[in-house]
Amino acid sequence: MNINDIVNGILAGDKRMIARSISLIENDESAREAIIERIYSHGSAKIIGITGPPGVGKSTIIGNLAPMLAKTGKVSILAVDPASPFSGGSILGNRIRMQEALSRYNIYMRSTSNRLYEGGLSEYSWDIIKVMEASGSDYIIVETVGSGQSDLDIMNIADITCVILAPGLGDEIQAVKSGLMEIGNIFIVNKMDREDSYMAIKDIRETLNMSNKADIPVIGLNSLTLENYDRFVKYINDWEYQNKYRRNERKIKQIIMEKIYRIYSEYINNIDSADIENENPYYAAEKIMKNVAGQKFGYLEK
Amino acid sequence: MESGKNQKFIKPPIKVLLAKPAIDGHDRGIFVLARAFRDAGMEVIYAGLLPTPEEVVDTAVNEDVDVIALSLLNGAHMTAFKKVMDILKKRGINDIAVVGGGIIPDEDKPKLEKMGVTGNFGPGTRLDVIIDHVTKRALEVRELRKNEYK
Repeated sequence: MNINDIVNGILAGDKRMIARSISLIENDESAREAIIERIYSHGSAKIIGITGPPGVGKSTIIGNLAPMLAKTGKVSILAVDPASPFSGGSILGNRIRMQEALSRYNIYMRSTSNRLYEGGLSEYSWDIIKVMEASGSDYIIVETVGSGQSDLDIMNIADITCVILAPGLGDEIQAVKSGLMEIGNIFIVNKMDREDSYMAIKDIRETLNMSNKADIPVIGLNSLTLENYDRFVKYINDWEYQNKYRRNERKIKQIIMEKIYRIYSEYINNIDSADIENENPYYAAEKIMKNVAGQKFGYLEK
Repeated sequence: MESGKNQKFIKPPIKVLLAKPAIDGHDRGIFVLARAFRDAGMEVIYAGLLPTPEEVVDTAVNEDVDVIALSLLNGAHMTAFKKVMDILKKRGINDIAVVGGGIIPDEDKPKLEKMGVTGNFGPGTRLDVIIDHVTKRALEVRELRKNEYK
């Protein structure tokens, strides 16, 4: 197996090669750049972002949505789950909720850990989406980690951002007003069989209307009976897809940040906490940066 | 690893698929293992209850795991583990390690080893023994893949 086999496999839609290339992207920097260089210009897909707080039913909705989209095109799914801040390990549990659909409709799905990257996605989500695009997908569904108010990276990657909420978050809806409530192109209230679900729709509708977003739909879904999914699918298909420019701009900035970080992390890691314990942090940081410019390590000149 | 620091992963984490490839609902043990593997810094995927052997292999291939960890407590290991191994062999996949566990009688263990299912730990096994074994198998597989790619 070499890089050409892998690239040809991706372009032919071979799942084993797609899977292997995603591992290489996550783990190996030189392979990552080589793969992206070769597949960059291939494919175009509609990228559907699914985000929302933990436990509202994001994975379940994807499990129902993917087969419906699979009628009109090839679907791939990327799901991100959080890594443990203590061990770095993670339990990737999204697949359980959609396994049935995956096997039956021949959908490629990949679960990734965010590897402690902040913002709701993983550092290499862009690259993985690119691989899925090159494999001939028409739709790519991206599921974020169960997001808080500020996990908003999805809006820069997805063409359409679907914010999933559930009844019972009633009071919290006020709390997430800025942040999550601003990035949705469509709002979904899942678990419509629950009490208070219509109140939740009303609350979200009011919040949106207050910020002049009356044209953004709020759809109530029942994932047990598949009620209202037809409206959801129609909205996704009718959406005008146009985000490529911002997506690339964001990625380029991220790559530059990463390269700068790598250059300077050596200096940052070499700071000895004993040297700066009693210093004014602003002054200490200024001095360290001056030392960096002079190619010296640490705070004190040694 | 220090908590709360946005630091890079220097070593790629080991990816493990946990599965019970037959009609067996005893999932307490596999949950304990899932947590133990997570705490050992691995990325863990659990296949859920009642996957078929085909689904287990499909999942393993799509997720590109290093190790498939199979567990059965209902006595079907000689059939179900064998089926997983047969499917792997049929598809020509030799770079995924398979380890086993559950209620496995001593006389079955050599047969499973011969099939390629190693470990075969029973109840009461210390978690660090299992983690060490999985890590060892994963590193063997990684070594294989390294040679393949370059």
